[in-house]
Amino acid sequence: MQQSDSIISAYAPPFKIIIKYFAAAIIYFVVLNLLLLLNYKDISGFYFQPKILAITHMLTLGWISMTIFGAMFQLVPVVLQVKLFSEKLAEIQFWIFLLGTIGLVTGFWNFDTGILLNGSAVLLNIAVLIFSVNLIGTFIRVKQWNVTGWYLIAALVYLIITAVAGFLLSYNLWHPYIKINHLQYLKLHALVAVIGWVTMVVMGVSYKLIPMFTLSHGYSLRSGKWAFYLVNAGLVGINTFFHFQNNKIQILISNFIIAVGIGFFLFQIYLIYKNRLRKKRDVGIKYSIFSFYMLGIATLFGLIFSFTDFSQIPNVYLIFGYLVFFGFLSMLIVGQIYKIIPFLTWYHKYSSKVGLEPVPLLKDMFNEKFAFLNYYLMTTAVILTIGSFAFNNSTALLFSFALMFTGSLLFTFNVITILKK
Amino acid sequence: MITKEKVLELLKNVIDPEIGLDIVSLGLIYEVEINDDSINISMTLTTPGCPLHSTITGWVKNILWQEAPDKDIIVNLVWDPPWSPELMTEEAKKQLGM
Repeated sequence: MQQSDSIISAYAPPFKIIIKYFAAAIIYFVVLNLLLLLNYKDISGFYFQPKILAITHMLTLGWISMTIFGAMFQLVPVVLQVKLFSEKLAEIQFWIFLLGTIGLVTGFWNFDTGILLNGSAVLLNIAVLIFSVNLIGTFIRVKQWNVTGWYLIAALVYLIITAVAGFLLSYNLWHPYIKINHLQYLKLHALVAVIGWVTMVVMGVSYKLIPMFTLSHGYSLRSGKWAFYLVNAGLVGINTFFHFQNNKIQILISNFIIAVGIGFFLFQIYLIYKNRLRKKRDVGIKYSIFSFYMLGIATLFGLIFSFTDFSQIPNVYLIFGYLVFFGFLSMLIVGQIYKIIPFLTWYHKYSSKVGLEPVPLLKDMFNEKFAFLNYYLMTTAVILTIGSFAFNNSTALLFSFALMFTGSLLFTFNVITILKK
Repeated sequence: MITKEKVLELLKNVIDPEIGLDIVSLGLIYEVEINDDSINISMTLTTPGCPLHSTITGWVKNILWQEAPDKDIIVNLVWDPPWSPELMTEEAKKQLGM
């Protein structure tokens, strides 16, 4: 006789660890949208100013990276069919990263570039080190690698570079030692963070999740592999040439290679989407499609931007940043959270009852109408914000930020509804 | 005595929560073999690396074990032949909008 012994997945870590990461991320998202709303008058012009630096780090560390950590602890074991090296380390990392982010954001906000900023940067580096140990410990147990795995390894390398570069930059604000331009190194830090760490994870994970959600079959993954080679080649180029003077041509070529790589990624997503069996587009997929369009626009914009002088356009850096961080990344994350949180909650509460009593489907875990309302609120806010920046209209900006803040509240409400289900 | 038809009927209670269709209609069950002391199920999933990998096989075991506690329930997860949309029932295809 054999009773089932594996009703709980053999690989995934406990619900309570993962949900902590998502909860912190969502709180950061709401707070950063509130800060944008309250400080809309200061959000214009050049990016190197305390409040914009603070909000950017709240966004990249608190919202985006927290979500990625939570999602990776859930997904890596499942996708690579291996147990996470240490759940304890995942828990410890959370608290150190949380503290480091709060400190760093406060440091930037008050432009306290001494102990607070640098101490926080050290904490964040420790958290990244813990994450790396945990992930490498997991990776060495993997028996069968796949494309998603390659992307995750590369992303981890770039995360480490980002964190170390971040600390070196914060130290330079305290005790200046970098001989070439601080802003040049800041660009390297930002590019490696966004393209190397975040986008690399997004790409690798998308190849796994989008087909799963859309039930897509019978497509080739060749474009996805090309995207990997090209984006990495471009990033290696940028990481090398940034340290030299007179590097304009080399950087342009690297940017171009990255843009072509992202083009291959988007083409791969298109192939997956075209071969989908589920024709109905749920809210998670709608958000993802919007976000991939934004990625395409941001890439084109960034590419033209690196070849042309755009300094006469008002807020050009902010437009590009908003396209990437809100249009592409935040909309993708919100969409994926609409898929992941219902799944995690359902799994936690109902998976042991399947077949024994009626259980809800994932789509029954939340009110779809509210979720679609959320989609229209947020995507409208993205488009209006970009327009407000372009026309330098602060009243329109206030309205757009208010719309995104309302969207973030509705999103939080929907997530709480799911957790309570 | 449990029959193959009864096993398939029971397995229709295992519903993929994401897709909203049961594993029999999805064409995931390849083979059902009933012996004196065991029930052998050979099945697949729509994609390797599905987050419900070990869970779905657990559900299959649980449901069958409730009905036939005197037998060993053996579930073999196979990837060859790989699942393809043609294996779905007409009703399932219609529900997905194919």
